[in-house]
Amino acid sequence: MAESIQNSHFLLRRLHSLLGLLPIGAFLSFHLWENSQSRLGASHYNGEVVAFLQGTNYLTVIEIVVIALPLVLHAGYGLLISTQMRWAPRRHAYLRNWAYGLQRISGIGILLFLVLHVGMTRVQGLWEPTVRADLYGHMQHLLTQPAIFWLYLIGLLLSVFHLANGLATMGIVWGLTASAEAQRRFGYVCAGLGVLLAVIGIQGLLGFLP
Amino acid sequence: MSAIPGNTPAAKAIHLRIRRQDRPDSTHYWQDFKLGYEPDHNVVSALLALRADPVTVAGARVEPVAWEHNCMEEVCGACAMLINGVPKPACSALVDQLAQPIVLEPLPKFPVVRDLIVDRSRIDDGFRRVKAWIDIDGPWDIHEGAPRISQRQWSESYLYSRCMSCGCCMAACPQFGPHADFMGPAPLAQVRLMNAHPTGRYDKADRLHAIVAEGGLSDCGNAQNCVRVCPKAIPLTSAIGELGRQATLQALRDLLG
Repeated sequence: MAESIQNSHFLLRRLHSLLGLLPIGAFLSFHLWENSQSRLGASHYNGEVVAFLQGTNYLTVIEIVVIALPLVLHAGYGLLISTQMRWAPRRHAYLRNWAYGLQRISGIGILLFLVLHVGMTRVQGLWEPTVRADLYGHMQHLLTQPAIFWLYLIGLLLSVFHLANGLATMGIVWGLTASAEAQRRFGYVCAGLGVLLAVIGIQGLLGFLP
Repeated sequence: MSAIPGNTPAAKAIHLRIRRQDRPDSTHYWQDFKLGYEPDHNVVSALLALRADPVTVAGARVEPVAWEHNCMEEVCGACAMLINGVPKPACSALVDQLAQPIVLEPLPKFPVVRDLIVDRSRIDDGFRRVKAWIDIDGPWDIHEGAPRISQRQWSESYLYSRCMSCGCCMAACPQFGPHADFMGPAPLAQVRLMNAHPTGRYDKADRLHAIVAEGGLSDCGNAQNCVRVCPKAIPLTSAIGELGRQATLQALRDLLG
């Protein structure tokens, strides 16, 4: 029998699981906190937050290696995993079974959201200097359109759920939580973290509104 | 249990709605049957009574319903089927506690042989894949008595020894089925049991290498339906968490020596 570290199935699954937390989950938390500073106004947001990020050393390398590549790997392998789902939420109407299905559905939803989100911010900024110069104004222009605001709100909530639930199941996958009681306790911790991130994220969205 | 609809003594009948299938490759159909009420019927005894006089509600005399049963005390696992949408052993499913009509279907996810009989050889395949046994014999005298374990460890392991390979956990699992290679929860729980055994632990690394491969532990989606439907209340999801920990440590040992 092949050893675990020679088994690509095992390694890919564990890599997929790890990437969801590091760096993707960590980046999402940072991203939501960072953008919650929108509530401090345009000059602070453009002058402090965006300017700091745009001036970061090796920014392009970091964006590709720490954000884009892990996201593509996590999403691509996640799509493969989701094809194994044969969900019966009404026959087995348990919370964990619902979370199981929503984890896969939210993953697909997040992927669609991210294509739009990255497209209308980072990618659009590549050829439109005004987007880079006044990101606050650009975001305000976007989020004052109700359809886009709802898109962002749903994308935010799906992402936060996906992270919180993924963290809870990650505890089982890696063996942090074994007993049912430990899994329940850690589930509450993850739910709390999810609510906290959702509040920070919503505050960030509202901060862009005039 | 008086609150269950359609089950008042006045009904004086047991209404069975059974999903039937003549051959593995033929299409299924439904038939309804009514039996005279008797107290303390379970689903197997109701099917036995039906077999004596297999006449549908429409009055047609049909082939008797085919199903499996054996021990009649919920230890052999042979009579597991879908009863009102829930996978469970028919022998311990009491008619007085079931809503009527009682809908009987073959255990899902497994290929139907006939009526309520399914081919559950995939369960045994899973046990074979993970070496769900203990090598106790050698060609030499080991000069030792049976290794002793603590009462606490015994009582924890005992929970897993109750598995009767009925397949209910697999029937409820959204990752298990003909579409996928996943071995299902029951073989994983036996790895937990055998790895903890004082003699079985000698093959712990082999078992862990078997369950980290395709169709093993990583294919669990943590929907945790298994632990909800297990008729023997086996802590299947705790086994999966413990095996996750064992697999993590094994991977570190494989990597670092």
